Amino acid sequence: MCLGIPGRVVERRNDRGLPMGMVDFGGVKRECCLAYVADEVLPGDYVVVHVGFAIAKVAEEEARRTFEVLREMSQLEELDWMREVADQGLSGLEGGAARPAEAATSEPAP
Amino acid sequence: MKYLSEYRDPAVARALIQRIKTSATRPWTLMEVCGGQTHTIVRQGLDELLGDAVEMIHGPGCPVCVTPLEQIDKALALAARPDVIFTSFGDMLRVPGSECDLQQIRSRGGTVRVVYSPLDALELATRNPDKQVVFFAVGFETTAPANAMAVWRAKELGVGNFSVLVSHVTVPPAMTAILDAPDNRVQGFLAAGHVCTVMGWKEYEPIAARYKVPIIVTGFEPVDILEGMLLCVLQLEQGRHEVENQYVRSVRREGTRPARELVERVFTLVDRKWRGIGEIPRSGLALRAEFADFDAELRFGLGDMHVSEPAECMAGDVLRGKIKPHQCPAFGTLCTPERPLGAPMVSSEGACAAYYNYGRLRTGAGAARA
Repeated sequence: MCLGIPGRVVERRNDRGLPMGMVDFGGVKRECCLAYVADEVLPGDYVVVHVGFAIAKVAEEEARRTFEVLREMSQLEELDWMREVADQGLSGLEGGAARPAEAATSEPAP
Repeated sequence: MKYLSEYRDPAVARALIQRIKTSATRPWTLMEVCGGQTHTIVRQGLDELLGDAVEMIHGPGCPVCVTPLEQIDKALALAARPDVIFTSFGDMLRVPGSECDLQQIRSRGGTVRVVYSPLDALELATRNPDKQVVFFAVGFETTAPANAMAVWRAKELGVGNFSVLVSHVTVPPAMTAILDAPDNRVQGFLAAGHVCTVMGWKEYEPIAARYKVPIIVTGFEPVDILEGMLLCVLQLEQGRHEVENQYVRSVRREGTRPARELVERVFTLVDRKWRGIGEIPRSGLALRAEFADFDAELRFGLGDMHVSEPAECMAGDVLRGKIKPHQCPAFGTLCTPERPLGAPMVSSEGACAAYYNYGRLRTGAGAARA
């Protein structure tokens, strides 16, 4: 459960005082909390994300390599949870609309 | 060398294995603390490649495995309430409680939602003001900052229908408890990389000094783990006992300060029971008094619960490193990932599930090295 997934910060925003940002995990995008790395991370930087929170900044090369190793070792269960949440949405009990899908970009996966 | 086929760099791994074997003048017994490391070790068969140089004991660092049965039963009671949306990380859904698991509660009509982040649970609460949303806040120090933030935000934004069922645990007191046990065999630790990414490693320095054990902060990839083992063996051979950082690309001595600070503002240290192990003093986190309004146990008046573990399950002995999973009589027969008796058979990071999934089936007493 303590595994983190490396991803690339695509954009930053501020949600009522909380630093948030869209992070790209090998093509799967998801909004994450950047509060704990807010002073050191800009769009384009790579972070290690655990349950939706960036816990450390990492170098790009390291992020790409780690992502591939995690994929090979089938240790990306957090991505499955991410997808399950995206499929169900958060609006209510009757399923609800999924979060709007982010437009695909041509930028490389981490 | 069939196990090495998945390495990014098999040559590096082979060289590390060779160095461990030539460095060890006697067998050493090490413990990897983190369940993610256990998964890697068993999946890649790292322990089987080291011959007699190193025996790995699998530590209790799997939050799914050590969440006490009482807390699982409280989760089940909350999830069964018609006014509650119960939210949890996905890997808690099949952990057996006294009577059933969260998945069964869901099939009986309870509302149980998997969330990726605790902020998802908070969002569900704001979108469902007529319901009570409870989040199952489990995990080690890696997860505590996320869960602390959800509570902090709930208070800040005044989300009154959100609460958390807290069952957080911390690593250093568990390591101390293992070292204090009269039958302890652990001579060195691989500490959990991402726990230390958040917390740093200052807390481990007094443990290494007091118990004279090397502690190597270690990552999760096969080559990380082999390098952690090598650093540990070298220290043992040289009579050193220091904290050393193998996972330099993610871990700094002081950790991630803003995360550590919010955890300290929201949570306080308490005695906590670990499933299969028992109570470990000051090993858990609970909400501080100023966040008591968000404590699900208080909000819903959950008192002490009477619980009983299945007698056939030896998860406690597995979690303390006294037996290997396949030495349990129920392993692979009464207890499988499809029908788990104990929590370590549920999580992919549990030692029992790792042994089962990667083919370490019971082959008689000769199969066990412990």
